[in-house]
Amino acid sequence: MKGLATAIGRRGTVATLVVLIWVPLACFVMLGPLLGAMERYVLLPATPAVVALYGMALYRWRKSWIARVGATLICFWLLIAVLVPYLPLLDPDKPIAPLALPGTVKHGVFFLLGSDLRGRDMLSRTLWGSQRILVWGITSTVAAYLVGASLGLMGGYLGGWWDEVVSFLGNVVMSFPVMVLLILILNLLGQSGFNIILAVTCSSAPLIMRIVRGLSLDAKSRGYIQAAQTRGEHPLYIMLVELLPNVRGPLIVDACLRLGYTTVAITTLTFLGLGLQPPDPDWGLMIKEAATAALLWKYSYMLIIPALSVSSLILGFNLMADGLHDLELQS
Amino acid sequence: MRTLVLRRLAQMVLIMLTVSALLFAIFDSDQFRRKVAVAELGGFGIATLSEGEYRAWVAKKGLDQPFLVRYFHWLGRIAHGDLGESLEKDVAVSTLLKESLGHTAILAFFVLLFMVPVSLGLGMLAGVREGSRLDRVISVVSIVTTSIPQIATAVLLTVVLALGLGWAPSKSAMLEGWSFRELVLPLLTLLIYEVGYLVRMTRASMSEVMASQYIRTAVLKGLPMRRVIMKHAVRNALVVPVTLICLSLNGLLSQVVVVEVFFQYHGFGRMLLDAANFGDIQVLQAATLVAVCVAVLSQLLSDMAYVLLNPRVRFA
Amino acid sequence: MVDPATYSWNEMSNQTRPILEYLTLADPENVVRPMLMDWWKPSPDLRTWTLHIRSGVMWHNGEELTADHVAWNIRRWADPALGSSNLGLATFAALTEYTADPHANGGIIHRPLANGVEVVDSHTLKLNLAKPVLSVAEDFAEYPTHIAHPSFTPPFSRNPLGTGPYTLAELRVGERCILKRVTKTTAGGEFRYWGGEVYLDEIHFYHFEQENQTAALASGSVDATYELPIEELELAQSIPGAQISSVESAQTLCCRMQVDVKPFNDIRVRRALVKAADNAAIKRLVFGEHGSVAGNFHVAPVHPEYFPLPPVKHDVAEARQLLKEAGYENGIDLTITVGNNDGPWQQSACEALRDQVKHAGINLAVNVVPATKYWEVWKSVPFGATSWSHRPLGTMALSEGYRTGASWNETHFSDAAFDRALADAEATLDVPARRLKMREVERILQDAAVMIQPFWRPVFILASSKVHGYRPHPARQMQLTKVWMS
Repeated sequence: MKGLATAIGRRGTVATLVVLIWVPLACFVMLGPLLGAMERYVLLPATPAVVALYGMALYRWRKSWIARVGATLICFWLLIAVLVPYLPLLDPDKPIAPLALPGTVKHGVFFLLGSDLRGRDMLSRTLWGSQRILVWGITSTVAAYLVGASLGLMGGYLGGWWDEVVSFLGNVVMSFPVMVLLILILNLLGQSGFNIILAVTCSSAPLIMRIVRGLSLDAKSRGYIQAAQTRGEHPLYIMLVELLPNVRGPLIVDACLRLGYTTVAITTLTFLGLGLQPPDPDWGLMIKEAATAALLWKYSYMLIIPALSVSSLILGFNLMADGLHDLELQS
Repeated sequence: MRTLVLRRLAQMVLIMLTVSALLFAIFDSDQFRRKVAVAELGGFGIATLSEGEYRAWVAKKGLDQPFLVRYFHWLGRIAHGDLGESLEKDVAVSTLLKESLGHTAILAFFVLLFMVPVSLGLGMLAGVREGSRLDRVISVVSIVTTSIPQIATAVLLTVVLALGLGWAPSKSAMLEGWSFRELVLPLLTLLIYEVGYLVRMTRASMSEVMASQYIRTAVLKGLPMRRVIMKHAVRNALVVPVTLICLSLNGLLSQVVVVEVFFQYHGFGRMLLDAANFGDIQVLQAATLVAVCVAVLSQLLSDMAYVLLNPRVRFA
Repeated sequence: MVDPATYSWNEMSNQTRPILEYLTLADPENVVRPMLMDWWKPSPDLRTWTLHIRSGVMWHNGEELTADHVAWNIRRWADPALGSSNLGLATFAALTEYTADPHANGGIIHRPLANGVEVVDSHTLKLNLAKPVLSVAEDFAEYPTHIAHPSFTPPFSRNPLGTGPYTLAELRVGERCILKRVTKTTAGGEFRYWGGEVYLDEIHFYHFEQENQTAALASGSVDATYELPIEELELAQSIPGAQISSVESAQTLCCRMQVDVKPFNDIRVRRALVKAADNAAIKRLVFGEHGSVAGNFHVAPVHPEYFPLPPVKHDVAEARQLLKEAGYENGIDLTITVGNNDGPWQQSACEALRDQVKHAGINLAVNVVPATKYWEVWKSVPFGATSWSHRPLGTMALSEGYRTGASWNETHFSDAAFDRALADAEATLDVPARRLKMREVERILQDAAVMIQPFWRPVFILASSKVHGYRPHPARQMQLTKVWMS
């Protein structure tokens, strides 16, 4: 009984921390100016939350260095994302001096990472860019999970015609190559962050659904579910309280991987001109806008910096997934 | 086996019908018609049209009919092998499709040509001795390469190979006719990701096989290690990677979009993006059907490979 | 490239220009010169224009160009059913009429004038216009007025019959367009180009996305580009062996407000915005020392009839005062929509505007939409930044965009005094006299504060050092028949 309480307590702490980070970040990015004076303070509680979360991750995953490296990369970008409004940076949207090389002074301004074609500071654009990708990436993955997992749970547990219909629709969606589907959806709906969430949900929910469905089909035959059924519990209770926690392990690994995929997808879409619109600093957009610079070696920093940033974030997600997978196998 | 193929094919036809009907329904909006008109006549052109003239223009393009009418009309033509005409590019969709698919097929062919031996070889090497130094190096490198999105790989390769070392041209528009040199960067970009992924999967499959009971028995029986690996382990370990290679055809169709756009290569992905941006419904329809077809066929292929290669399934 | 008469943008006509020619040619100095017509003459009231077609012009099929051929083209453009943007040009608009539809009660139909285009003899035409038009010769130099052979049926690429020195060898839309010199007529005889010597044997156009064009030139894939965006100017200067040239133009960005939409229906709000904006500072920020400052009345120094009005004074205090009078003493939230159709400088200009008007208590949000999306909404957004292309005459853009009910009137501006003054200026052929009349026209528009028009932007082009005679054109026309390569 006591073990259960501590388990819930620990899980509760993690959940609280995640909410403490995500809610302010999402508010900041999605609502922006609507927050008014609140905008200055909303991100303050998130910073200690990121630090605490990082500490917990290091402690809990002390057996897997891969997972720790992954967590470090992710927490680095998370920390940047919540701290960036308070850092002494130049305005990321303001053209100051074009084509300043990294580490040089131009027009009396020092550019640590140089400036882009329009003269905006690369450092501040890169750091601000982390905010958008994290918020939209995490939000759309969560949305995809909510939809996919609930459909999968119902399909797996309830079965019957409901399962047939949902599985067929899932098959229809899954028979599209992902990028084709995303291009079609975003073209149809128009380009905005919220439509990215919709598009990602449409394209990944069926895959999540299939995994959850398989896992819950498997779990359904186990004793504890049958016991719950004989107790006469409500199906909803069984699904959420008995089934879901027991299929948690593989799902967390999959979620980490999917965060990586979503980040790739969003960056790629922005590069193709289908994602977030300028002037928001965004890594995919930075690569697109700097394509011209790809003609001279000395200006290639404009491309390399966003490319490395996005790669490091995705590497973080993948390493964490890999590490968690190993830990899962060990226990 | 036969029923599997037939069932899959039937499912494919059903899916294609659903998808194409969906596309027609989706693109049956005023907003879409306006988009096509703006794309074709330009912002200033469309502004000279009165409401009635605009409607007449839409009617002339055949976009005013209800979507079901257009859909069945289109189905009828498809049945005769006629994919229609591109709204944007005034050529038959089939010509356009043939060309762009051809270009993408060349790319895909070379990807497979290099990917299969390299990744199977490396994956096997790593998986044979799990935990060895070689294994750890290969594993970490492959995690890293699968973590770099194509867009970043494309950037880094361009900067290093084209701008820095000058070994390959930075764009692949093939202006002077076909040249393999221009294919190098898109090819490498696709390979780096695909190889990494396949190496990881092969390694996992191989190490699982190596740990299995019958391999251990064979080794205990005193058979030479080399023979055990070549004769028993490899065959069993290949099942999963081969099915994945088949499935990767599907993934390639997604990945070529960004690679083709970045390197300005005229293939299927770029055509699709163009058509989607223009609202070129005929091209979009045909391209989507091709994509769905490739996806379903690659799934079928991978299922068949699984059945053929896996002795347990065959005897079951 | 389906139909030259409905070309949506300039780029397509640049590829067609060496094949299908125009009646007149606007040269890089903004002077309109004879091309397929060798002279033209208006009646004193500017309602009847006599056009004389050059003799000895040969089609690719060996036929000679006649007045009938030209008449066929003009009648086609004037037919509203075609959907050509030429109908936005004064000449062709004046060849149509609105009449009651005999079949529908109260319905109005828009149709070509019955006797608008009159063929006098084999090489002479007469245009009988519904109202006086000044810009006939200039309108014939606009990009969608290619003269095609009457046997033309869309798509153009299947039957590229023209009078120019080149014909279409290969076309892949979105990829490449290759033109070859015409030496033989389609009938097999010898083809003689009326315009004298031409130097290039082949012209290859390749499609590159805007952000890849300069890179394509630097890598030697192409010899010249359509346009060098201002953002890449400094970058291009570091490309070895590249020549950059520029020309002043009447290309501009109009941050225009719709005068019948709240809050812009209150002239105090519009004036406040105009006062809060510092055009000279925006120009400096976006174009540096290039280009020139505009005065919110859409007539440029390169126009012959430009009357220099004093600029609107930048005055933040007065802007605040105006806002207060209009009932916004606590500031106002506005959104400007912009699509980077011609390059990211459009967005830069809006962002600079945003930073300036903030001092007057105006919170301006910049809504950047994709280029194609902007053209879907350009006539309906209340506050939008539209890029206007170059016109050879100052009256042309005014007549196309600010006259009551004009097709491209995006501000919904309607002022009887303005229409009268503009009509008066347009009826004056003599340039100095017209310039004096433009003063009133420009003043009314400037006082109405319908737009913040920060600058006239220069047009830059980029070419390799092997290219000779490729000159920047204010309307971004690529005139390639006299270009040669070393």
